[in-house]
Amino acid sequence: MKSQSSDYAIDLHDVRKIYRGKIHALRDIQMQVHPGEIFGLLGPNGAGKSTLVKIMMTVVRPNRAHGTILGKSIGHKRTLARVGYLPEHHRLPSYLTGQQVLEFYAALAHVPGGVRKKRSRELLKTMGMDDWGNKKVSSYSKGMMQRIGLAQALMNDPDLIVLDEPTDGVDPVGRRDIRDVLLELREMGKTIFLNSHLLSELEMVCDRVAILVQGEVATQGTLDDLTRESQRYEIIIAGTAPSWIETKSGLRAETLDDDRCKVIIMGADPQPIQTVLDQLRQENRIILSVQPVRETLEDLFMRAITDPATGEISSPGASPNSNRKSKGVRA
Amino acid sequence: MRQFLALIFDAYRELNSKKLFWIILVLSGLTVLVYASIGFNDTGMSLFFGLMDIENEMLTKDSFLSRILYRSIFSTFMIGIWLTWIATILALISTASIFPDMVSGGSIDLLLSKPIGRIKLFFFKYIASMLFVVLQVSIFCVGVFFCLGLRLNDWEWRIFAAIPLVTVFFSYLYSICVLFGVWTRSTLTALLLTFLLWFCTYSINATEAVVNMFKIQFTMEVEAFDEEIATLQNNEVQDNGAIESRLETIQTERDERQVTIDKIDRWHQPVRITQTILPKTGETIALLDRWLRRETDINMMDIFTGGVAMDDQGDFQRAQSRDEDREVERRLEAEYEARSEYFIIGSSLAFEAVVLALACTIFVRRDF
Repeated sequence: MKSQSSDYAIDLHDVRKIYRGKIHALRDIQMQVHPGEIFGLLGPNGAGKSTLVKIMMTVVRPNRAHGTILGKSIGHKRTLARVGYLPEHHRLPSYLTGQQVLEFYAALAHVPGGVRKKRSRELLKTMGMDDWGNKKVSSYSKGMMQRIGLAQALMNDPDLIVLDEPTDGVDPVGRRDIRDVLLELREMGKTIFLNSHLLSELEMVCDRVAILVQGEVATQGTLDDLTRESQRYEIIIAGTAPSWIETKSGLRAETLDDDRCKVIIMGADPQPIQTVLDQLRQENRIILSVQPVRETLEDLFMRAITDPATGEISSPGASPNSNRKSKGVRA
Repeated sequence: MRQFLALIFDAYRELNSKKLFWIILVLSGLTVLVYASIGFNDTGMSLFFGLMDIENEMLTKDSFLSRILYRSIFSTFMIGIWLTWIATILALISTASIFPDMVSGGSIDLLLSKPIGRIKLFFFKYIASMLFVVLQVSIFCVGVFFCLGLRLNDWEWRIFAAIPLVTVFFSYLYSICVLFGVWTRSTLTALLLTFLLWFCTYSINATEAVVNMFKIQFTMEVEAFDEEIATLQNNEVQDNGAIESRLETIQTERDERQVTIDKIDRWHQPVRITQTILPKTGETIALLDRWLRRETDINMMDIFTGGVAMDDQGDFQRAQSRDEDREVERRLEAEYEARSEYFIIGSSLAFEAVVLALACTIFVRRDF
């Protein structure tokens, strides 16, 4: 695992993992995460997301991995003192209380005793678990486990926080709380690497995302960058679509029902729609609504996992075929 | 150090949460209590703090036999049966799940993501797991120490040697349990395979003892024949024909025995090599008896087996009898006692080191 100096919080190059010599879980992953951003990793089941996270956290050994985490080569153990991690389906020792869990994992992360006590109390409060801190973890609900797990990841006041499905099993209020915590952490300058299936949640908090499909990065970038091509304005008017629409480039119309139609103007620039609106008014058309539209993360995700040639959605799981070519929607 | 202490505290809390830990502790306490309840008075022996009296003029207070009995109960039953077998089996059951639990999904991720190397984590956890036995044996030893001190006015500090000795003995078996636990990730499989290997070790030791006993027996016969041959050759009786004939017969029988010894040796050598490689569980525990024994000590087994006998003055003396069985036993015992502590513990620890190295390699190289 070679290192190279980097300004990124996470800078991965050529990360490769092959299980049992034939299952290509990760194929030469290139991924960069900027300091102080929330980065979302998404992909279908078996795409290699957890393997990638586990390689970063030294739980899985890669076949090849170049790059850095917080400026140190991947696998550098001491750097992990500056990283907080919440694994998916984590199992906390059931014989410990919430506070003991926090203190135990913090001690393993070299957090001094006095700091552990103080910080565990603060985090229990932040996570809304202060009444449960002295109760055994075995009595916790799944949502509570998740909150304690997240608190555990923050005990060492990490610069980088890696969270694998942090809102799994958490109720809507809890999700909002966790979201708020993540945004607060970003305000504090922390880098957050988020692996989640909940696209709507990622969309709400992530600055940048990467989509992993069959062990390859299909696409990565800011949501704006990734959806720029799909950004458009939609004007809904009463009646049928004017005939001149189809003759102009960048414009198209769709009939919604007998009384309404939609005029679509491609692009994020609001200038071209002014002309269209003027024209429609001149024709005394009733304008029902005008709104800017862009692709959702779900649309982007579906596009990334769909083969453009066949229109088929990628089969889940890593492929044993080592010659798979990327079909991504790279931005 | 901070990480090590965290794992030690964690191990303590884990044990604390296990019912079996407390059950064994209570049973240990009861064993010591029963031991403490044995007393001697002017008429004989009392059990359960005087609830039951056994009148016996030889087992009166401060009598030689009562001291022997009390110490023998400790070495034979409390060490030989309780600590060696029952407490060890229960300790293995209690601790067998520690490593499979640690390497289970979700749990290992949290540990490995901390700034602690896998080798360090493995050995810290291993040492922390020993806490179970250290605590149990320590409490047990303190109890026994006071029993011996208060009952016999025998403040035997060497009893505390049982703490490292039993811990080392347990560690031989636990290393096997850890290897299979890390390898299969199954507590039950690890436990069953450990018991199986323990049974194999026990069988090999027993086989070696039996084979060795036969070898000594035949060697003694050869020695007897050699003695007789020497006597006959030095005999100045004139009947040379009879002597020659007798010599020939003895020589034939001697050679037959020697052939048998050679045959036994062919079996004995591989068994002995295997025994050398495997951990010496029984011999390790027997070291405690060796360390605690004094020159003048006589134990109940000596009395039961006739190794000692009462003389005309009513004192016990080592029996002078040279009968064959006893001589075989004596030689066998002498041979085992000639094996140094360094060899017994060292070779067993070497086995443990190999097993742990294997387990650690699996742990370090595995993707979780």
